[in-house]
Amino acid sequence: MAPGRWSRTATALAVGACLALAGCGDDPAADGTTTITFWDDNGGPARTPVWEHMIAEFEKENPTIKVKYVGIPIAQVQQKYDTAIAGGGLPDVGGVTTAMLANLAAREVLEPMDERLSGSALDGKLNEQVVDTVKATVPDEKLYMVPLSTNLGVFWYRADWFAEAKISPPANWDEFYSAVEKLTDRPNNRYGYTIRGGAGSISQLLEVLYGQSGIDEVFDSSGESTVNDPGNVEALERIAGLYKKVTPEADVTNDYVKMVAQFDGGNIGVMQHNLGSYTDHVETLGEDKVDAMFVPAGEDGTRTVTSHPVTGLGVFAAGEQRDAAFRFAEFVAGKEMNTYWATETGVLPANTEVADAAGLEHITRAAQVLSDPGTTLVQLPYYLPEFNSITKTDAEPQFQKVLLGELSARDFLDEMAGKLTEAQASYDERNGG
Amino acid sequence: MGMTVGETNVRQHTRRRGSRTPYLLIAPAVLAMLAFLVYPMGSVVYYSLRHYNLSKPWEDGFAGLDNFARMLTEDPLFWQSLGFTARWVVVEVSLQLVLGLALALIVNETFVGRAFARAMVFSPWAVSGVLTTGIWVLLYNPTTGMSKYLADLGLMDYGGAPLANPDTVFLAAVVAELWRGVPFFAILLLADLQSIPRDLYEAASVDGASRLRRFYHVTLPHLKDAIILSTLLRAVWEFNNVDLLYTLTGGGPAHQTTTLPLYVASTAVQSQDFGYGSALTTAGFLILTFFSVAYLRLGKFGAKS
Repeated sequence: MAPGRWSRTATALAVGACLALAGCGDDPAADGTTTITFWDDNGGPARTPVWEHMIAEFEKENPTIKVKYVGIPIAQVQQKYDTAIAGGGLPDVGGVTTAMLANLAAREVLEPMDERLSGSALDGKLNEQVVDTVKATVPDEKLYMVPLSTNLGVFWYRADWFAEAKISPPANWDEFYSAVEKLTDRPNNRYGYTIRGGAGSISQLLEVLYGQSGIDEVFDSSGESTVNDPGNVEALERIAGLYKKVTPEADVTNDYVKMVAQFDGGNIGVMQHNLGSYTDHVETLGEDKVDAMFVPAGEDGTRTVTSHPVTGLGVFAAGEQRDAAFRFAEFVAGKEMNTYWATETGVLPANTEVADAAGLEHITRAAQVLSDPGTTLVQLPYYLPEFNSITKTDAEPQFQKVLLGELSARDFLDEMAGKLTEAQASYDERNGG
Repeated sequence: MGMTVGETNVRQHTRRRGSRTPYLLIAPAVLAMLAFLVYPMGSVVYYSLRHYNLSKPWEDGFAGLDNFARMLTEDPLFWQSLGFTARWVVVEVSLQLVLGLALALIVNETFVGRAFARAMVFSPWAVSGVLTTGIWVLLYNPTTGMSKYLADLGLMDYGGAPLANPDTVFLAAVVAELWRGVPFFAILLLADLQSIPRDLYEAASVDGASRLRRFYHVTLPHLKDAIILSTLLRAVWEFNNVDLLYTLTGGGPAHQTTTLPLYVASTAVQSQDFGYGSALTTAGFLILTFFSVAYLRLGKFGAKS
């Protein structure tokens, strides 16, 4: 090819490529509309329709902004964010929880929301306790997400089984152990309780340990983890002792999906989870057969519960449409949409105007439990960037060993406490604590 | 008659272009290998020499051989997962070979319904890995699977969960993988069986060789190269098996079915420790390379018998 033809061809290709790439961007289109990409961090049959509805409402009210919905299964969301951070392709706005916030904030990919919120319609409308929890997750105490809801540990139970057995929902731990034993009828494939032994087991385990021991902090004043306190060891021995006696054998590997399949399949009397699975149970079992009770009280009548991740929307700092992205976050956290969100997903709304609007009895009761002076809230250290790997990759298989009788409760909790103490010391050192 | 200057230039130009042509022709393949083979492998080796943990970005930096030292001296799970991987590969490949060869010999015979039998034998190979796992997860599920129906019939107690019991999980996973792996050997060995000249069997029969002797002295020597190659391929695939075990058992319970690649996945993806995950991957790569070379040499692959 002659030099002149080479250069003409190269120029034509370059111009063509530029035009094509320009067409791929999210810049305002010729008709003035802006498109933002939204990653749902819990995409699936339960949550996707809820978001589709809220997006439709948003687009109706903001005709110049289009929202491109991308649903990501909850088990893959951390990996998707990691990949996008490393290789590019983060969305404009995405679902985040306080469980992943420390990591995202440490990598400086989220925009702080404090200034934007102070001048927005949400100013003063968000639950202060929820906002403080979000801020406490990061060292600079900024608000890196617009909170939508929070959660509370719940023991879902078969109201019809309890009525049949003529027992009341347990008010304390002794009654709990007695009830799950009474409800078990192994020859007829009925189990009083199910233990989550697979993915996600540790956060539920910590709730039953601290709930029984009544210890009110994960770290004592010297920075040592209380996870291996004798009270927690005793509590673990007691709860692990239920495995295969009043629970199915499959529990040792059960993740959320398998655990719920067992409960909703009609084989389980009591299942520990949180408010978020309300819709699944009611749709499968019916409202009359399932009810919620909260973490049983200790011997002195007080109740100890652990904190649950706050769910919300984060605006990504690299996005070119941050104003539109914040507008979307602000809209879904507003009274109307937050009411819809809480009603459809059964969780505690972050918008204080919603409190009584959801109309779901268990949400009202959950809010009462949280505000009860007799309730102690143990804050789990979501601010530790290593918290996820300690409680998931490291601890989950070890907890399975405890259930299988291959590891003692004390050794398991000593190991986890050691790692948490080390992570806390490192955190304090980095942040001048 | 001597050449003119013009003719000499044209010839030299043609020779130069001719000498460049082979390089131009293989350039796309070389570029593809550089992009998709050398670069990824190089980057894994690079990261194996670094501390690169997304949850501890403050510790990122050059690590030298720290990750390898940790792997060899401080990490019992590395040795445990390597031991399980070896057990998994040996059991799977051996059973798949024996059963695949048996099936290949059967469907190589002439009988009524042979075409249907062949289709049945090969069909599991056409099912995707994830679907295969889905089928076996349902079969083993105590709520929906075999154990429930057996319990309904009064043949066993309710609640049997082969994937949750440390005594049965290995066997349960082996059976699921066999279902998918046996057809691979059956297809490959059947193709080779059909290339054995009938004359050899006839000559052996005339010499009075029994069916068993014909198998040992005609069939097996002819299949040698196919067996070496297919077992090597399958061993590498089974070593790297992630889809079935990850979906079926997740490496559990309590790491009982964690292979080295599953351990890599949990280290890199869940713990976000890409530096250490890369060191584990490099170790796996070196082990496989050594095994492959040794296996081909010891098996005298390609040598005339």
